[in-house]
Amino acid sequence: MVAVGWTSKKFSGLNDSRKVHVAMHRLRVNGIEYDVDVPGGTPLLWALRDELGLTGAKYGCGIGACGACTSLVDDRAVRTCVSTVAEQAGRRVTTVEGLPVDHPVRRAWIAMDVAQCGYCQPGQMMAAVHLLRSNPDPTDAQIDEALRDNVCRCGTYHRIRAAVRLAARLGREAAE
Amino acid sequence: MITRRGFLAATAFVVSVPMPVSAAARDLRPNVFVRLTSDGEITVTVPRPDTGQGARTAAVLLVAEELSVDPDRVVVEQAPGDTAKYGPQMVAGSSSVQQMFQPLRTAGATARCLLVAAAAARWGVPSGECQARDGFVVHPSRGRLAYADLVADAAAIDPASVPVTLKPPREWRVLGRPRVRVDVHDVTSGKAKFGIDVSEPRTAVAVVARPPWLGATVASIDDAAARAVEGVVAVVPLDSAGVAVVANRTAAALAGRAALRVTWTGGNTAADSRDWLTELGQALPAPPTAPGTVALQATYRLPLLAHAPMEPHNATASLTADGKLTVWAPTQDPGGTRERLAQILRLPLGDVSVFATLAGGGFGRRAEFDVVLEAVTCSRAVQRPVKVLWTRDDDMRHDSYRPMSVHRLSAVVGPTGLPTWRSHEVATWPLTVVPFFNDPALVRASGDHFPYRVPGEVSIALRPAPLRTGFWRAVYAGQFGYAEECFLSALAARAKIDQVAFRQRLLPPDSRLVPLLRQAARAHCRPGHHRGVACHVDYDSAIAVVADVGVRAGRPTVERVTAAVDVGVAVHPSGVRAQVEGGVMDAVSTVLGAQITVREGRVVESSFRDYRWARIDEAPDIDVIIAASDRPPGGLGELAYPPAAAAIASAVASATGRAVTGMPVTGEVG
Repeated sequence: MVAVGWTSKKFSGLNDSRKVHVAMHRLRVNGIEYDVDVPGGTPLLWALRDELGLTGAKYGCGIGACGACTSLVDDRAVRTCVSTVAEQAGRRVTTVEGLPVDHPVRRAWIAMDVAQCGYCQPGQMMAAVHLLRSNPDPTDAQIDEALRDNVCRCGTYHRIRAAVRLAARLGREAAE
Repeated sequence: MITRRGFLAATAFVVSVPMPVSAAARDLRPNVFVRLTSDGEITVTVPRPDTGQGARTAAVLLVAEELSVDPDRVVVEQAPGDTAKYGPQMVAGSSSVQQMFQPLRTAGATARCLLVAAAAARWGVPSGECQARDGFVVHPSRGRLAYADLVADAAAIDPASVPVTLKPPREWRVLGRPRVRVDVHDVTSGKAKFGIDVSEPRTAVAVVARPPWLGATVASIDDAAARAVEGVVAVVPLDSAGVAVVANRTAAALAGRAALRVTWTGGNTAADSRDWLTELGQALPAPPTAPGTVALQATYRLPLLAHAPMEPHNATASLTADGKLTVWAPTQDPGGTRERLAQILRLPLGDVSVFATLAGGGFGRRAEFDVVLEAVTCSRAVQRPVKVLWTRDDDMRHDSYRPMSVHRLSAVVGPTGLPTWRSHEVATWPLTVVPFFNDPALVRASGDHFPYRVPGEVSIALRPAPLRTGFWRAVYAGQFGYAEECFLSALAARAKIDQVAFRQRLLPPDSRLVPLLRQAARAHCRPGHHRGVACHVDYDSAIAVVADVGVRAGRPTVERVTAAVDVGVAVHPSGVRAQVEGGVMDAVSTVLGAQITVREGRVVESSFRDYRWARIDEAPDIDVIIAASDRPPGGLGELAYPPAAAAIASAVASATGRAVTGMPVTGEVG
């Protein structure tokens, strides 16, 4: 792994003189290891966005109620806005930036032209990746069940449903 | 106040502004929208922000069509706020594609005609013998020349000396064809940059403590605990109604706000939105004298609605010590925001730059610039760029809501059951974010688009708004259209006439709605379901909606919606369908449960947990039929919501046997 010891340079020289903690947490994100210098209680979302510059995961509510920040941690779909750096240190974090270009979910989202504003879509996609890992051929009802806590304010739901079905088919074809 | 230390700090960094480079001599830049370089790069500058409505895609397609290039080759650039240069830039009134259609095509065609003229001159042949095709100018005997090789020659030609002709629609290869939007790769890779993703050097983040109840103001601030939070750099009183906690990072700003102690005073701790609705009911204008017996009268009571875009409000501002202001924001109106900021801050317009990022939804709310002013105040205080981030709670509880309204409709009915006279009395509030809107004539112009041949009267009473109100998708048409179409459905049911036939008999025979109703009904045809129908005409476009509702476990469920829409030329068909689908889902959400309520002076709803916006398991199948048309594009973004809401509500009434009395149709309104 690379980039151990990487820290954000954005604010160098501006560190607050009252700093009291020295807490380095090792995060493994999209196959790269980073040491981040933040309080352990910092939500993973803000560590990803503000420390690592990975802005694919979005802030939508901060209380785990909208799904815009959904990312994978090991094999779970996690609301990174209510999950802390200390809890997830050392685990395998995958954000939308870590999805391969040819990932069936990405290809399906493009083919179905799912997005309107696009803000919720990284979270929707990561929830779909999680669903398809455990259930490669979900029914519409299973798609609805798995994605019901991911809000899309623009109303792209029926394209999302179609894209998950397409991603499932692309995934099965790739596996054959 | 600008101190010397502040001045040094503020000038010690360079803000990365995409400066309009003076056109290199060899670039072809016949207007502000198109640029070609001799390296073969083609750039389209999009005058309107993209809030999800697809302005960027439409602009690229319009230019690419006329320039005869593959849209995938085009680089998209967002125009900074500058109405003198780019024309009106506000995303409002469903006008983006409508108003870009002519100028952006002309921009592309101008470049094409110059390239053709350059090739003709080089070959020494008449221009009429040359054709532009897929990035080349071709001639039957001379072969072909790539645009890149013609750029320098074309740039030397005076654009005014070359006649510009637009392609006839039969030659279109791009417009109206299936294709995905230009931002799909950025969105699906996480690279798309929204306002919240702005990351200028040294940017601090601020979150704001806001009044916990309506009208409260700051009595005192104890900021010791907030300042003790690691990373907090300042606590900045914004005005009497907000205190910003500024920090190096978002998490610290949030923790700082949680630690801040503000004592609030004044305001209204008794306000209750149910009382407001009662008061509006009492304020209804007296009905006019009917020319016969009123056969049916109905009253509809509509709630407050929040915009709740997925990307909460935010803006980044950098006000330097020498009075230069730069703003990056997910705004619906970069040009207007720039002009208002210059006025309010008394800065020369040339010292104010406003850059529109992608916006995670807008729905009307981002036409306002309150959050930008907050960012400016914070930047001035800490002499750094500051991004102000509204939390979801801020966004939901401090919105500029769609006004509540009460509608009373009456009809005199002829022997066939068709209405021969109608009246519609409305009591509602003005939009406080635009004081000039406190005028019944403007409210009527926004709301009343009744397309049927039924004479009658509409009268409006405006009461002072008890809280901040603003533009919400479709504005007053969302209320008026809903009430009118629900009432028409009730009249059809009373007359026992099919909903489609009833409307067709009331429409002028040449109405665009007549064929749309037929198309929607035919495509939708499926027996055994409870059905609602509604129409709407606005923004030079027309739509007919048919909705099926079932009842599952005692709850109404929207099963299927078909919409036939005539938007003139459909520049980007997938985008056209998307706008209709979005309007339908707003309708599902607001008819079946989402509303904002106020109790004891506080907005109750604070997130998507309690603002009951629809989820994927409530999403119907949606079928959008786009009528073939050669008319110039009409508006679309706000067209589908009013009729979709009325069709769904009427279908619910059919399914449950309970007449529609307001919105939402389940539970208490207000």
